[in-house]
Amino acid sequence: MGTFLLRRTANYVAMLFVAVSATYLLASAFMDPRSNYLSRNPRPPMDSINASLTAANINDEDPLLLRYWRWLTDIVLHWNWGLSPDQEPVASAVATRIGASTQLVTLATVLAIVIGVGIGVYTAIRQYKWQDRVLGGFATFFLVIPTAVLALFVVIGAIYINEALGFRLFYVTGLHSYEGDSPWLWLLDFAQHLILPTIVLTIIGAVSYHLTQRTYLLDTMKADYVRTARAKGLPLNLAIRKHALRTSLIPTAVNVAFSIAAVFTGAVITETIFAINGLGRYFVTTIINNDINGATCIAAFAGVCALVGALLADVVVAWLDPRIRIS
Amino acid sequence: MADSELTVTTAAVLTAEEDQSTGLRRTGRLTLIVKRFARRPSAVVGLVLLVLLVVFAFVGPRIAQWGYDEPDFLALAQAPSAEHWFGTTTGGSDVFALVARGLGRSLAIGILSSVAITVIAAIVGTTIAFFEGWVERVGMWVLDMLLVVPSFLLIAMIVRSSSGANGWLWLTLGITAFGWIGYARVLRTLTLSLRELDYVHAARYMGVRSFTIIRRHLIPNLGSVLIIQTVLGVVAAVNSETALSFLGLGIKAPDTSLGTILQAGQSVILTAPWVLIAPSVALVLLTFSVQLIGDGLRDAIDPNSRSGGRA
Repeated sequence: MGTFLLRRTANYVAMLFVAVSATYLLASAFMDPRSNYLSRNPRPPMDSINASLTAANINDEDPLLLRYWRWLTDIVLHWNWGLSPDQEPVASAVATRIGASTQLVTLATVLAIVIGVGIGVYTAIRQYKWQDRVLGGFATFFLVIPTAVLALFVVIGAIYINEALGFRLFYVTGLHSYEGDSPWLWLLDFAQHLILPTIVLTIIGAVSYHLTQRTYLLDTMKADYVRTARAKGLPLNLAIRKHALRTSLIPTAVNVAFSIAAVFTGAVITETIFAINGLGRYFVTTIINNDINGATCIAAFAGVCALVGALLADVVVAWLDPRIRIS
Repeated sequence: MADSELTVTTAAVLTAEEDQSTGLRRTGRLTLIVKRFARRPSAVVGLVLLVLLVVFAFVGPRIAQWGYDEPDFLALAQAPSAEHWFGTTTGGSDVFALVARGLGRSLAIGILSSVAITVIAAIVGTTIAFFEGWVERVGMWVLDMLLVVPSFLLIAMIVRSSSGANGWLWLTLGITAFGWIGYARVLRTLTLSLRELDYVHAARYMGVRSFTIIRRHLIPNLGSVLIIQTVLGVVAAVNSETALSFLGLGIKAPDTSLGTILQAGQSVILTAPWVLIAPSVALVLLTFSVQLIGDGLRDAIDPNSRSGGRA
């Protein structure tokens, strides 16, 4: 197990290095920080534009490979991820946003898994009955609806409820607005902010877990060992719970492990609509500001999350699936 | 399983006998698929909806009283009326004309990039699996590496610099460039069993050129998967187009798409909800109808499908 994990990790680190380097080169090729200054009115003198671009190591007059080499050595030797065009260090900006993103997505992820897997099992057992058809119809609808549309309609609904009640039950922007000392009021305020984006993220996540879990359980329910269990005289429910459900949870567990990556960066739209200063929203800012270093830093963080998820998936499979032996 | 195979065989024998005795025509594969598709009400509803949307996208701009790019400065943020059927935006643009134009854009981007994604994924996926050995190992490593950074972030980076009249082509290119990787992995897995087929081995030992085998034997074998994937890929492509344009990273004014209109509607959610509702309805109808068609096709093409009724 140890050597396996070590080999996998080495492979993933190599992948991460190539992927992040490619992202840096891609971002440098397509983003143009100089245009930030050229569009200003009055336009600053060329020398000062060049000076600030060079200070942030994003001057397009320097050769690309030289900039790449500076960027790489800064990260490897000083853990310095570079400056934004406004000369702000991007690493600390990313670090502060990770907190907000975590607050936003943790509850939604847990709820999505529990609800999605639950409905998936429920509908698989009742395949082609009306419960399965109705829930499946809803799932297809929410699967294809663009996140922006879903979130905006949740906002409209919440505003109408607020108006009907005459006071603000739901807050549609930000995560916190309470400034007192009482922890209970702080928690209440947090919940009022969190509930709407959580609803959106939970629906999106739960729908995909529902559909995949239903497919996996249906596949295992047809397996020989479940039929054997039934032939032995086990009631259907017990046969499913003891024999089919366990194996069908393995691919879902792998999906959960993989989804850790999306947890941090998958909420771009939701964060934008609910004005939450998380990583997703920061990413949009970096793109609009032509912030090459910032965008690459977020991509690198997302890449690390993805590979941690992949590693976790390897471990989960080895741990849960008795058919797989790693030595 | 064995039972159904038996019935199928007997049925086939029966039809063959019928053919000889009564001269009945056998049902072709395409006819069979069309029949099974038409038997599913949801699939037919989806097809009708999609046709209506396509007609709307083509005819809408011609019957609209205003162009999508000619604002009516005497009617800013007006509710739907006889002159502006879906109302106007705060800038005075006619929402009906915007939605018709945006729907056309979203459809074009969705269909073009989905087809391109399927073509690239099919070629790369089958090639990697066919050559085995180090080609497969290196290819899979590269595919996995390309999946490390979320593709949404990469697309956003390269479409940022594109705007103007050809902006939508850049967006299509971006969605295609980073959208095929996951599909290619899936297709490679499916090809693993195809490459062991006897006639593939036979072709290989007869010295048929590798790319001829891939073109003639492997890709046609994936045909049904590819068709379904292309249809469902339209939904994914429309969704990423909407997301990017909504964030202000995709299609920008003066051109328009459904995501761009949504973005405009977001800020006037209370004062002018019609700006938001019209494109939302169009988007939901578009993605939902395509999904219904895809599901219907999957059931119609899948030989093991239990969609009910006789073939």
